[in-house]
Amino acid sequence: MKRFTSFVAALLLGVVIAHSAAAADAQSSEKSTSAGVKVPAHQRFVLPNGLAIVLVPKKDVPMIAFSGFVRGGSLADPADKPGVASLVAGLLDRGAGKRSAFEFADALEGVGGTFAATAGAESIGVNGQFLARDRALMIELLADALLRPKLDAQEFESYRAREIEFIKSAKDSDPSQIVGTYGRAALFGTHPYGRPQGGSERSLAAISLADVKAYHGQNFGPNNATLVFAGDLDARWMRQALTAAFGNWAKVSLPPRQLAAAPRVTGRRVWLIDSPGAVQTYFWLGNVGVDRRYSGRPALDLVNTLYGGRFTSILNTELRIKSGLSYGASSRFTRGSTPGEFAIRSFTQTDNTVKALDLALETLGQLKHGSLAPEMLESSRSYVLGQFPLQLETAAHWAATLSDLEFFGLGKDYIEDYGPALLKVDLAETAAVTADAFPRADDLVMVLIGDAAKIREGVAKYGQVTEFKLSDTDFAPATK
Amino acid sequence: MPKIFRAACLLLLCGAVTAATKPPAAPRVPGADQVKSTTLANGMKVIVWTDRDIPNIALYNWVRVGSRNEVPGITGLAHFFEHMMFNGTSTRAPGEFDRTMEAQGGSNNAFTSDDVTVYQDWIPRSALDLVFDLEGDRLANLSFDPQVIESERGVVYSERRLRTEDSNEGFLYEQLQATAFVAHPYQNPTIGWPADIQGWKLEDLQKFYKTHYAPNNCTLILVGDIGAEEGFALAKKYLEPIPRQEPPPPVRTTEPEQMGEKRVYVERPASTPLLMYAYKSPAANDPLGPAINLLMTVMTEGNSSRLHRLLVEDKKIAIQVSGGFQEGFDPMLSYLSLTLPEGANPADVEKVLDTALDEVVSKGVTDAELARAKNQFAATFWKQLATINGKANLLGQFDVFEGDYRKLFDAPAQYEKVTREDVLKAAALVFQKKRRTVGVLTSPVASAASDDIASDDTASDKGGATP
Repeated sequence: MKRFTSFVAALLLGVVIAHSAAAADAQSSEKSTSAGVKVPAHQRFVLPNGLAIVLVPKKDVPMIAFSGFVRGGSLADPADKPGVASLVAGLLDRGAGKRSAFEFADALEGVGGTFAATAGAESIGVNGQFLARDRALMIELLADALLRPKLDAQEFESYRAREIEFIKSAKDSDPSQIVGTYGRAALFGTHPYGRPQGGSERSLAAISLADVKAYHGQNFGPNNATLVFAGDLDARWMRQALTAAFGNWAKVSLPPRQLAAAPRVTGRRVWLIDSPGAVQTYFWLGNVGVDRRYSGRPALDLVNTLYGGRFTSILNTELRIKSGLSYGASSRFTRGSTPGEFAIRSFTQTDNTVKALDLALETLGQLKHGSLAPEMLESSRSYVLGQFPLQLETAAHWAATLSDLEFFGLGKDYIEDYGPALLKVDLAETAAVTADAFPRADDLVMVLIGDAAKIREGVAKYGQVTEFKLSDTDFAPATK
Repeated sequence: MPKIFRAACLLLLCGAVTAATKPPAAPRVPGADQVKSTTLANGMKVIVWTDRDIPNIALYNWVRVGSRNEVPGITGLAHFFEHMMFNGTSTRAPGEFDRTMEAQGGSNNAFTSDDVTVYQDWIPRSALDLVFDLEGDRLANLSFDPQVIESERGVVYSERRLRTEDSNEGFLYEQLQATAFVAHPYQNPTIGWPADIQGWKLEDLQKFYKTHYAPNNCTLILVGDIGAEEGFALAKKYLEPIPRQEPPPPVRTTEPEQMGEKRVYVERPASTPLLMYAYKSPAANDPLGPAINLLMTVMTEGNSSRLHRLLVEDKKIAIQVSGGFQEGFDPMLSYLSLTLPEGANPADVEKVLDTALDEVVSKGVTDAELARAKNQFAATFWKQLATINGKANLLGQFDVFEGDYRKLFDAPAQYEKVTREDVLKAAALVFQKKRRTVGVLTSPVASAASDDIASDDTASDKGGATP
């Protein structure tokens, strides 16, 4: 495959082997908008119990997609037990309402429906799709999963055991999938953004069913949630059915949750995670970046596109196209309520580890000290504008996008004003965001998964090295 | 596991149908009447599906060449060639293809499978002329810079390390497929064997280009904000001048009938052992194809599927089950892939799995299971049709593998028609022990026992031990 979508997605979808892995991932749904993109007409209403609902009629294929969230996620995990939210998310459909886990799956899949719940840094996200004719069942199952999950003891035990095994399996078969979890742990430390969203082998083992039930009781309430439906839907029917299904959902009293911004790191430090026998080193270089409301967003997107957000980016040009050191190299900003990480990711043959790292650092230095050629700015602008409509094509895209806007309290101008704003970005602005948002090459947390015996010596020059094993049961070194 | 889930992809693509229990007849595909096709004078087929929802176009060029067309010494060349298609022509320097396309707002990618190589561009309307120019140029004038070949060799080797050498799943699947076929080139890993990646030469690439990259070996698909006549005119202008060539020689070798179970064991550090089955299966255009797809869906798709329920939920002897029918030009494989929990004994899991497979061979599936599988296909089918990308994929799949893109529009009815008897027939055909290859991956067995890894007891007792 030519570009990086996610390696993992590519692997799982088995689109065989492609030319590259790069850029597409960097264009997250939050991104760019074509100058003319309009948010489709929709209605938003809030039930008396506080549940916000958005309906987006969009007739195309005969399906309805939903997307939504319940605030919390890692942020609501007990500090010493990351992964509680993730277990709650996984258990929502493993028995709910009158249905056992199997009966729920059978009802869902029996009509070709899908339901997924995933814990993120600041919420549990839900999404799925049903054939439009099954709209009543869709609402019934969704309400059961959110309001009445059984959180059954046996299901809990078996699901938790399996989640622990999945982490081991990822270590066996896809180190690139987990390098970011180590990276965030190294960068954010005890800040909630540093917690492994799916838990660690050790933390999952320590979580009890009582933790899971407490999480659900404290966080799952209408005043803490939003649901968006888009597709082949009749808004009047939906409103009535949703009011009936969710109108009695009892409010929760929310613990005050203030999230402080994590500080940027200065200087460099290295985590070396030993994977004996690995033939490549998988690396992640990061620092704290910007938040979702960052005012320089359009300029920053244009600069990151040029630096590590597309195939011909500076990073991919140096590490792949010119040197053949790697199948791909990319960079992205993750933007939360508070500043998330800026991260560079790539991998290279063990023997080339230092060479590839030096090159990555050099590109960052050049970006910080150099200036952008006007034609590069134009190229990036065209690219971001040209690709944006592809991310807002389907009902499922719009459900996810509107849910995201709801989460961050952003208006439709976040989408609609973005294209015009991109058109106005000039070199002064790109210089300003480059200085402000990108870290210096000397200020980075560097995380490497690789064969420590072969690279330990070489990477010592980058800074203080903390070494531990890939087989260790946490995503961070053991604390004494 | 690069290829392992390819079947799943194809399944998605070929999926279809609406409810079996609930009666509505298979709905018509909206916009089907918007699809037009023509064949250029040089033999290239062009298919256009106008869909003006967004101001973009997906352009897919399906080339009928994959690792199936390789011979020893050049395994992986189809995929390497795919990379080289981005690396310069006699009129454009290496890298210019990507630089100019991105500067006009377009992005691109490509993938290679056992059977085909597909080039994909996603562009705003404004880049149409440019992209036709670029595509025509690389089909007519590709050139190979020796330095770029060397650097791209490194890129592809890095891809191999990522997908195969640092991945237990990828590694076992490669061994499984190579073991399943004794003669047919489906034994070639699409990424290529390491020695071939390091060894292929400029002349190999030149010969490959001349043999396979003929316009008459390509199907061009355009979906999106473009009219049929407009698409045909651009194809005439930019692609028709490329001369037709002698069609590539057909793949001559057919796989001899397998007469007994084969086994492959891999010892690699592993916390979670792996167990895979690969069954010889018919080609993509076999009339039993929809029944096999539905069978595999019943067995492995979702938490309500038979094998997930049995192995993961009830017995807890696997943490994950997946499977699918790999559809190729020639008879390929249906596979089952299990990830086992740490410490599990693969031999024990095999027994339980075999009992479940015997049962479906003797008793078939229930009405409810069949209805569920049909609905899962229907939903997947509609999701695919929601994007210009999905449409381009489906049109290509059907035209290239089934011989006519219009079969896409019959797919809902074809799947609707499948009966329990058809699925029973499919189960009896596919799940034959003597036509299967079993792959097992476990951690190296501790010293004394290690010389007889093939004996179940030694292999599996320590199979899951952590290092």
